[in-house]
Amino acid sequence: MIVRTGLTGPFPRPEALIAATRDLDRGRVGTESVEESFRATESEVLALEQRLGFDTRSAGYLRWQDLFRPYAESWEGVAVGPLTRWLETNTFFRQPILLEPPGRTPGALVARLPPPLRAAPASAAVLFPGPYTFAEVAENRSGEADEAIVHRIGRILADEVRELTGAGYRTFLFSDPYLVVRPPRGPTAEAVVAGYQAIRGALNGGTSLVWTYGADAVGAFPLLDRLPVSAVGVDLADTDVERLPSATASPGLGLGVLDPRTTLAEDPAEVARVVRLANERRRPSVIWLGPGGPLDLLPWEPATRKLHVLAAVRQALGAGGPA
Amino acid sequence: MSDRLFPAQEIGSLAKPRWQLLGQRGEPLDAKARAEFVEADRRLGLGADLPSARDALLADRARELGADGVRDLGALFALRYLEAAGLDRVYDGEARRIEMYEYPIRQMHGFRFQGHVRSFDNKYYLKAAVTDEIRLEHPYHLEEYDFVKRHAHGEPKLPITGPYTLADWSYNEYYLARQPGWKGRSARRAAQREFVVDLARRALRPTIQALVERGCRVIQIDEPAAGTHPDEAALVVEGFNAATEGIDAEFSMHICYSDYRALLPELLEAKRCRQWAWEFANRDSTGHDGYEVLSALREYGDTRQIGLGVVDVHRDEVEAPELVADRIRRASGYLGDPHRIWVNPDCGLRTRSLPVARAKLEAVVAGATLARSAIENPRR
Repeated sequence: MIVRTGLTGPFPRPEALIAATRDLDRGRVGTESVEESFRATESEVLALEQRLGFDTRSAGYLRWQDLFRPYAESWEGVAVGPLTRWLETNTFFRQPILLEPPGRTPGALVARLPPPLRAAPASAAVLFPGPYTFAEVAENRSGEADEAIVHRIGRILADEVRELTGAGYRTFLFSDPYLVVRPPRGPTAEAVVAGYQAIRGALNGGTSLVWTYGADAVGAFPLLDRLPVSAVGVDLADTDVERLPSATASPGLGLGVLDPRTTLAEDPAEVARVVRLANERRRPSVIWLGPGGPLDLLPWEPATRKLHVLAAVRQALGAGGPA
Repeated sequence: MSDRLFPAQEIGSLAKPRWQLLGQRGEPLDAKARAEFVEADRRLGLGADLPSARDALLADRARELGADGVRDLGALFALRYLEAAGLDRVYDGEARRIEMYEYPIRQMHGFRFQGHVRSFDNKYYLKAAVTDEIRLEHPYHLEEYDFVKRHAHGEPKLPITGPYTLADWSYNEYYLARQPGWKGRSARRAAQREFVVDLARRALRPTIQALVERGCRVIQIDEPAAGTHPDEAALVVEGFNAATEGIDAEFSMHICYSDYRALLPELLEAKRCRQWAWEFANRDSTGHDGYEVLSALREYGDTRQIGLGVVDVHRDEVEAPELVADRIRRASGYLGDPHRIWVNPDCGLRTRSLPVARAKLEAVVAGATLARSAIENPRR
């Protein structure tokens, strides 16, 4: 069994950084002081990812205010809208508003990536909102049909990937929970496939991971199996491993084995048992292990404890260190 | 129920005046805070009830008065502020509470605070995990209720955070750990049910019982998390019923920013709930009738009172009384009975400045007067 591990979304901010950002909002400190806190915490997350033998590095995406903001702020034709509840959580994001069919601004995204990733792009996992999820959460005032927007966002993300592969980035993670929360059908489902096909065309040998969470993924597998990506991840806190559709062989399989909705740390032996079950059902070429959903639903300390579980699971599976 | 149509009530918290915040910290009042306090005293007569506290604050002796003494003044201010706006049911604007989660949790054994979680941008909230059996250390809100009861001219309505919301805003370790095997969806659901019911039985119910024994008759159970997981509506109800079991009081349930239809019909099983106090104005705009959802209650034959949100608490723009009256008229039509309607803001007004909150409350009362007049004198 080939096993890879890594973060699959933003990591929480520690208390010191929280205090610094609060102080910034209250006008008690300047941006330079907060920048220093961000730099120090990014280094800490990066060191943790290295120490735990993760295959990809994220540096925590601590500066991003939500999954969509860097894109809503940098893409043309998109405005930043009202606070909106993120899935079934007590956290919120600013809804992107598509004022016209969106277009990208070359160079804008890379400037928003965590600085440590820019220094070492080959090991970085670049975080994107999945094209379907972006289209689903956005308010579409563009005049373009919803399925056309899904495809368009896929093509824009492909252009982002193309630019990044040119700069040495190799791993691209698409956070696409709405594929299972509100599975697309008909022309929209075809637009999702077309969007990911466009992305595949830009990978230049890189790796693309689609990560789903927030609902049972079993019913979405007919579509998930069609996605032309390196691996699709499902959240095992919501998806019963014994109901995963069986396959004689499949490309990569992602398994969300850390539940960000509870501070209770997972038992590595129990996680390893479930991973083996998933492996038997899907026979994937590679298994990616990570948190089920974004770990920033937890405070820093319990989230850090959970990351150690990933390393222990890898050991329990006898999968050794990073590839 | 009040004899006249469309009585008015508050729904929760108010912003704390600057003089209260400075005074609680033992700091002298600056010119702005002093002017606001003098004006509040002139308008609302705070010195009539608490003369020595009033004098101490004005004499910059807040430290001597103590944080609790300043909070007394803050609570009295909010009470008189709500009464002056013309409300029939009042409380203290939650002047003594920091927020609606941390304080109740700190009155219980079995929780451990884990740290801050981001709500959005650079806004965070402190979140605890239940790590042990829940035991109520002290029934809470008793002293604040005693104060309100002693000073209120109108009928007090006490808000208290409900068990479902307290559980949803916490991490569940203790009950989840007791579930055997993989902690998937079904294990999580079973663990959450135990958590909510234990909170209701071991913490909420004894607290509510103690409040009722002190004379509290009207209690609003706040469940803002009710709409977070629509498929758990039955659990919201189970918690409500367990928290109120065997207690003789007038209960309401406040829910906001939720898809109410998704919670029906399960929600209707809340046995002792006499009033639904819900937000509506926020979703009412040109081209979208925010009150149409009330027709669902009629479809299910539910005849309880409605605490009708008629002003939006997230915008500074003050609703005209005519708009408030129109909202009441539409709600009456959907319910088929105007006598079931109380009027209120959508939610707590703490996010608005005190002048804006006051104007909105006055709009609530003026709109109710217009709507009442239209029904009682249809030819006008």
